[in-house]
Amino acid sequence: MSSQTMVQTIARTLDQEMGRDERVVVMGQDVGKRGGVFLATEKLFDKYGPDRVIDTPLSEAAIIGSALGMAVHGLRPVAEIQFSDYVFPGFDQLVSQVAKLRYRSGGQFTAPLVVRMPSGGGVKGGHHHSQSPETHFVHTAGLKVVYPSTPTDARGLLRTAIRDEDPVVFMEPKRLYRAIKEDVPDDPEFALPFGRAVVRRQGEDVVLVSYGGSMAETLKAADALTEQGVSAHVIDLRSLMPWDRETVLDAVARVGRVVLVSEAPRTAGFMSEVAATLAEEALDLLLAPPLRVTGFDTPYPYAQDREYLPGPNRILKGVKRVLDY
Amino acid sequence: MIRDSQLFQPFGDEPISLIGESGEWKGTFDLDLGPDALLGMYHDLVAGRMMDERLSRLQRQGKLSFVAPSAGHEGAQVGVAHALRRGRDWLFPYYRDTTLVLAFGLSYREMLGQAMATRADTNRGRQMPSHNGSRDLNIFTIASPIASHIAPAVGAAISMKIQDNGQVAVTTFGDGATSEGDFHAALNFAGAQGAPVVFVCENNRYAISVEYNKQTGAESIAAKAHAYGMPGYTVDGMDVLASFYVMREAVERARGGLGPTLVETLVYRYGAHSSSDDDSRYRPREEVEAWKRRDPLQRFRAFLERRDLWDEDAETELRSEIDEALKTATAEAEAAGPVPVAWMFDDVFARPLPHLEEQRRDLLE
Repeated sequence: MSSQTMVQTIARTLDQEMGRDERVVVMGQDVGKRGGVFLATEKLFDKYGPDRVIDTPLSEAAIIGSALGMAVHGLRPVAEIQFSDYVFPGFDQLVSQVAKLRYRSGGQFTAPLVVRMPSGGGVKGGHHHSQSPETHFVHTAGLKVVYPSTPTDARGLLRTAIRDEDPVVFMEPKRLYRAIKEDVPDDPEFALPFGRAVVRRQGEDVVLVSYGGSMAETLKAADALTEQGVSAHVIDLRSLMPWDRETVLDAVARVGRVVLVSEAPRTAGFMSEVAATLAEEALDLLLAPPLRVTGFDTPYPYAQDREYLPGPNRILKGVKRVLDY
Repeated sequence: MIRDSQLFQPFGDEPISLIGESGEWKGTFDLDLGPDALLGMYHDLVAGRMMDERLSRLQRQGKLSFVAPSAGHEGAQVGVAHALRRGRDWLFPYYRDTTLVLAFGLSYREMLGQAMATRADTNRGRQMPSHNGSRDLNIFTIASPIASHIAPAVGAAISMKIQDNGQVAVTTFGDGATSEGDFHAALNFAGAQGAPVVFVCENNRYAISVEYNKQTGAESIAAKAHAYGMPGYTVDGMDVLASFYVMREAVERARGGLGPTLVETLVYRYGAHSSSDDDSRYRPREEVEAWKRRDPLQRFRAFLERRDLWDEDAETELRSEIDEALKTATAEAEAAGPVPVAWMFDDVFARPLPHLEEQRRDLLE
């Protein structure tokens, strides 16, 4: 165990995996000498050199498209998109090539690669440094999507992502990069499975489901509820494709009330999928309609950076509605 | 090995051409191909043309939904295939490469199985016709989105460079593809990396109906290579030997660690863009007929005849041999039977995820 922030543990996990498997290469803008603009690839260039830590041109299409070609040819690329807001020039590569390659080739060709992307708001970056575009990827058959919220989960899930046989979109909540420091297992085999949620708080009165950056605000809301005498059961999904329906359904079946928290825009966001699943699978067990507390259906604003995010107060308002129903 | 003096200079004023209108050798160097190599090329030209005709016929009979004809492109495609090491180098083709993928080793049965989406398709019936691919042959499965396979070819080439294994990646695309951002992204990265990749534009001057001068203001596609720090060649793509020799030089250059090349082959699409297109709306018949007079098969046949390597009897024999093989392959591909509905849910991920298994059960019950 050693005490690390999320961004430190990402760099350390990349180092461990590169040391273990020489097929693992890191690529992206500024990932070399600079160590990444957030330092998620710090020191890798000095250790592994330019063939395995590849500074690419400023082109997301080139990064993702060539990562695919490398994967097809036998490497295990971990590509960094500097901000998830900038993935869109490479979106066609992800959607048309990466996601579909196994399928359209009848399993002949595969794309075992990871696309890491700092995501989410709360850093005063305006709409082009703050979005949380996970729904696009979840909606694209063939991509796995994970969105950890703690250094330990980042380590365990990144290791699984790098070793996975499928392409993984690895979303990193940038406002939590340095917000939490915790003891992270140094064991080079420590890994966490996809599709497994984790219960962050046990509770009886209301279920709060969230993931990624919004976990921080969700836990704050849960603490405030404890002070009010309301016991919240908090689930961190961690993985969106696949996602852990059983853990959510079991908790909601037991408690009957649920608030779904995500900073992504509301309409057709991931929490809409969770709500629809609850309606299909657990309607007769619900004591109140599932309620979404999410980002708004506006472009991510600059001046109202904090108000856009579903902060503790908005979550508490949602919980009140669900409890009062 | 890179020769001290290269056969061709990049960025020339005229397209590189080695066979004249009546089959005469126009090269300034000695032909170094024996009869087997030359006849092998001719075989592949004719096989591609005949497969193309068969696919169109099957489409008209309703046995397949679509075909993207490659007639008129055969010279360039056979030149490309024969400049590569089959089973060792990698091909990232596009959907008008029927002749190319056959010449690179794909079987008739496999191609017809893919076109008819039967169990004979190693791609398991997942894509529309004219979208072949084969892991065994290093043929990256063709995708429809224009230019989306060019950056993957560069990635594979970077991997080849890192592994220093002497392989080369070749990717082909039409003139329309050069307008896509991904074309720029890919060539730019390849140039910066010195990746062992050859980019081949099969410039038939039409992207469906949009003609070359609406596609670009550049005087040639090859000229674009200059900006990416690589040589660019414009070749008469209806001349199989010109295509072969320029490709051989580009491939050797890549294999020798000297980086990428852009080769523009001037070809003409005899048919419509696809079986769903009506090219009489945008191309005068006289233009089509004029290009057909430069036909790659006829010209190369004339070349072979001048060298006493070919005659009418040999032609008849070759065509009947290919026709027989195509008939057998068509019957076999059809007899393999349609792919089962349940296959729809396979190969989305390495292992089936629960929600997909649930959807499979929903559909089948």
